[in-house]
Amino acid sequence: MSREHLETNIIRILRILGIIFFIIIVAFPFYWMIVSSFKSLEELLMRPANLWLDIRKINFNAYYEVLFEHGFSRYIANSTYVSIITVALSVTLATVGGYAVTRLRFRGQAFMSYSILIIYMFPAIVLVIPLYVVFSHMGLRDSIHVLILVYLAQTLPVALYMLRSYFQTLPVEIEYAGLIDGCSRMGVIWRIIIPLSAPALASVALYTFMIAWNEFLFAFMFLDTPEKFTLSRGVVQLAGSVHLSKQLVMAASVMVTVPILVLFLFFERYLVRGLTSGAMKG
Amino acid sequence: MALSRVDIKVKDGEFCVLLGPSGCGKSTLLNIIAGLIPQDQGTVLLDGQSVDSLAPRDRDIAMVFQSYALYPHMSVSQNLSFGLRMRGTPKPTIRESVQWVARLLGIEDLLDRKPRELSGGQRQRVAMGRALVRRPKLFLLDEPLSNLDARLRANVRLELKQMHHQIQGTMIYVTHDQVEAMTLGDKVVVMRDGKVHQIGPPEAIYSYPSNTFVATFIGSPEINLYRGMLVRKDGLPHFQGAGFSLNLGRLQIDLKEGEVEVGIRPEDIGTGQAESMDLRAKVEMISYVGSEKYIHARLGDEALTFCAPKDTALQPGNVVHVAVDPGRVHIFHKGRRI
Repeated sequence: MSREHLETNIIRILRILGIIFFIIIVAFPFYWMIVSSFKSLEELLMRPANLWLDIRKINFNAYYEVLFEHGFSRYIANSTYVSIITVALSVTLATVGGYAVTRLRFRGQAFMSYSILIIYMFPAIVLVIPLYVVFSHMGLRDSIHVLILVYLAQTLPVALYMLRSYFQTLPVEIEYAGLIDGCSRMGVIWRIIIPLSAPALASVALYTFMIAWNEFLFAFMFLDTPEKFTLSRGVVQLAGSVHLSKQLVMAASVMVTVPILVLFLFFERYLVRGLTSGAMKG
Repeated sequence: MALSRVDIKVKDGEFCVLLGPSGCGKSTLLNIIAGLIPQDQGTVLLDGQSVDSLAPRDRDIAMVFQSYALYPHMSVSQNLSFGLRMRGTPKPTIRESVQWVARLLGIEDLLDRKPRELSGGQRQRVAMGRALVRRPKLFLLDEPLSNLDARLRANVRLELKQMHHQIQGTMIYVTHDQVEAMTLGDKVVVMRDGKVHQIGPPEAIYSYPSNTFVATFIGSPEINLYRGMLVRKDGLPHFQGAGFSLNLGRLQIDLKEGEVEVGIRPEDIGTGQAESMDLRAKVEMISYVGSEKYIHARLGDEALTFCAPKDTALQPGNVVHVAVDPGRVHIFHKGRRI
């Protein structure tokens, strides 16, 4: 066997080993979570180390219980509401703001443009205590709308930054063409920038959705009334409750994780596709 | 790019070319006319009316960009109709106009394609079509041919001239290519460093360049330009260059004596001995360009380029007598034509 041949084979084997290693690290907990969520309590108690799921014994009781007896249908609705509103506001504001710092000239534009990310340098844990105090005094604390406000503040800097970077890659002549063809500034954004930025907008939406959907710290600190809980807050409530049934927590966790996964798989093709090809000489 | 003291009038139906090296401000000027960049001073008049306070869309202009700037997410027919749709033109009229312009440009079978599925030449046509379809008062074209390959460019240039003839539109055309400027323009505006150097029909720009920049920028091969002294011998003007002397005959020159530059176009130089002139050049190199040959020679201490018929017997190393018609010599004093 030649040396080159040997090297190729070694690299191939190492690659496969690497992939297997990461699959185990990433996928095993996920697998364990899904499998456990379909088992009954007795099954879990009697054979806690059983890795396999018997197809005939698949059991949706945990989901049913979590949804209807532990209030998770409400939590899902809350989380969906919070996430969608956050995404809508974040994408809208980031589009207009990102466009402004990219294309318009105004006093302080450069400063605005570069200071966007500074906000992001404060860790949430530093902000949560003062915000807790402020919102408590204002009587706003136990509200999912305040949560939306906080998530917006958390996601907007990165959203702005992402969109600004993307807008900078769009050729300005296309906008000029639009302006001459009869669009106003807003018309240019609506008819030209937004359609061309679909991949970037999808990324921003996905990112914002993920943050809002998964966020735990602020939800944990701000929300007191169970009717207002979001999913992540609900899972912790469930995990900390007296009658600890593992399959319930697992079912709840699946409900938190799967929507994000589905969304990601759905949006993924938009993320990679570049839409500007063909506009310019190229 | 700063522009200063630019004053250009373009007549109705005229093809006006802004010509200059890159960075001379010609595209800036075009963007100001379009309303895309606000000017600090001065006024843009269209039909005698100031359009300074009007947005680009209200100026009744159309623009073709160097990069074409087609809308990548729209089909060709949507690209063509976009401007009309934005203006609320009735649908049947839009359809008619798109058909008309597609026929004019020969892109009828491309109407359903997206820009990315088109070749460079096809994209260029769509970009032209997008401007033509609205039949605006004024067309602005920003180096529309510079991204085409040489052969295609020559064809499209001809078509553009024909099209201008056909639609009688007023056009302002920006280019750095003197061939485009000379072949297309009714009027050529030569610019550099934000200033207008000369305005005139192509023949005038070529035959009577107003300064040394215009003289060297226009013409290929480049004009021979020599720095030297204007002296009077027996009352007649002579040019004393580095290692050679040129008898300017009975040329009327408004300068008695002094430092000047003379420019002689390569095609205004002939071979053979002329009376009262003894110019000998040593051939150094010959470049063959098909229809003729360019002879690169040395005249005194200076380089000299001149044109010779393609069947010339000249060889490198030959010494040849050259003759110049004094009437065709361009004389510049302090950079300006005298």
